[in-house]
Amino acid sequence: MAGSEIPESKILSLKAHLEECPKCRQEYASYLLSLEKTKEWLAKDRIDWKESDWQQAIQRAIKDKKPEVTPLVTWPFKKVWAYSLIGVLAVALTLLFIIRPSIIQKKMGLGSEKFTQEQAQLFRSSPEESEQEVVSMTLVSKETGLKIVWFLNKNFELEVKK
Amino acid sequence: MKSEDELVEEVLSGNHRSFELLLEPYRQGLLNMAYRMTGNLEEAKEVCQEALIKVYRHLDKFMIGRSFKSWIYKITVNSAYDSLRKKKKYEDLVESQKKIGLSSGYDPEKQLLNREIKSKIETCLQNLSPKEKAAFLLRDGEGFSIQEASEILRCSSISVRTHLSRARKKIREQFEKINIAETKEVRR
Repeated sequence: MAGSEIPESKILSLKAHLEECPKCRQEYASYLLSLEKTKEWLAKDRIDWKESDWQQAIQRAIKDKKPEVTPLVTWPFKKVWAYSLIGVLAVALTLLFIIRPSIIQKKMGLGSEKFTQEQAQLFRSSPEESEQEVVSMTLVSKETGLKIVWFLNKNFELEVKK
Repeated sequence: MKSEDELVEEVLSGNHRSFELLLEPYRQGLLNMAYRMTGNLEEAKEVCQEALIKVYRHLDKFMIGRSFKSWIYKITVNSAYDSLRKKKKYEDLVESQKKIGLSSGYDPEKQLLNREIKSKIETCLQNLSPKEKAAFLLRDGEGFSIQEASEILRCSSISVRTHLSRARKKIREQFEKINIAETKEVRR
């Protein structure tokens, strides 16, 4: 049924089932009949070009544009040339993306030990400041101008300052 | 008699006469395929014209040794899809299919004889989607294999089987309806 191209083993099992099952047999017969009739109708009702229309269609197709035969079409090494170009491009891109960044890093001194130390120094001017121990929060009342300053330790627990 | 590959080579070298010889065996098949897809003879001719232009223009891209028949059917089916897409109204197509018996004034005598058959086919085909219709027409109308149909429709063979199976199921339902209606008329 599925495209009329079923494996031989499946055809045999289907045939065996059809012999046993009258309902499926009837279904199959009706299916075959509809398919056969439709095919028959399609074969009977075939139209054809009028000779003048056909000639006109052919002439229009030819006049529309001549097929362009480029030198590449007849060149026997077309494929070899294309593949080698792809290969060269792939190598060039690899070099560009892998080797070039490392050259730039070397030129600018990026990635060296000295550079790393400098970077670290920029963000940490003294070891004491590196870990903030106390955080302060100031609340100011708009109406009264009263200021309340809260001091919190690194665990955000309120520290009582005397 | 020259092979298709030889004729292709001749067309590419500038022999226009060979182009007609190359397409002659498929002229009826292509027109019928386009006609069933679009449901209108004039539109079918336009689709074929478009396909012929594409075939001629891109003949240099045809790979010698492969099936020329599949290639030109692929181009025709794609042109028919384009035509349907341009319309963007598949419902309109269904309506035009119903009227088709009157619109295609080809051969009046033949048309009169075939009107009954035509309306039956149209009734059976009208509920199919474009893909189902294409799969059905290629396999059951033009006799392509599932593999060839999948190449033409640019989809997997499983997909072709699915479309074909659905199309056949719908056609069977339509066919039964027609049969029931005919039986009732006979009884009256």
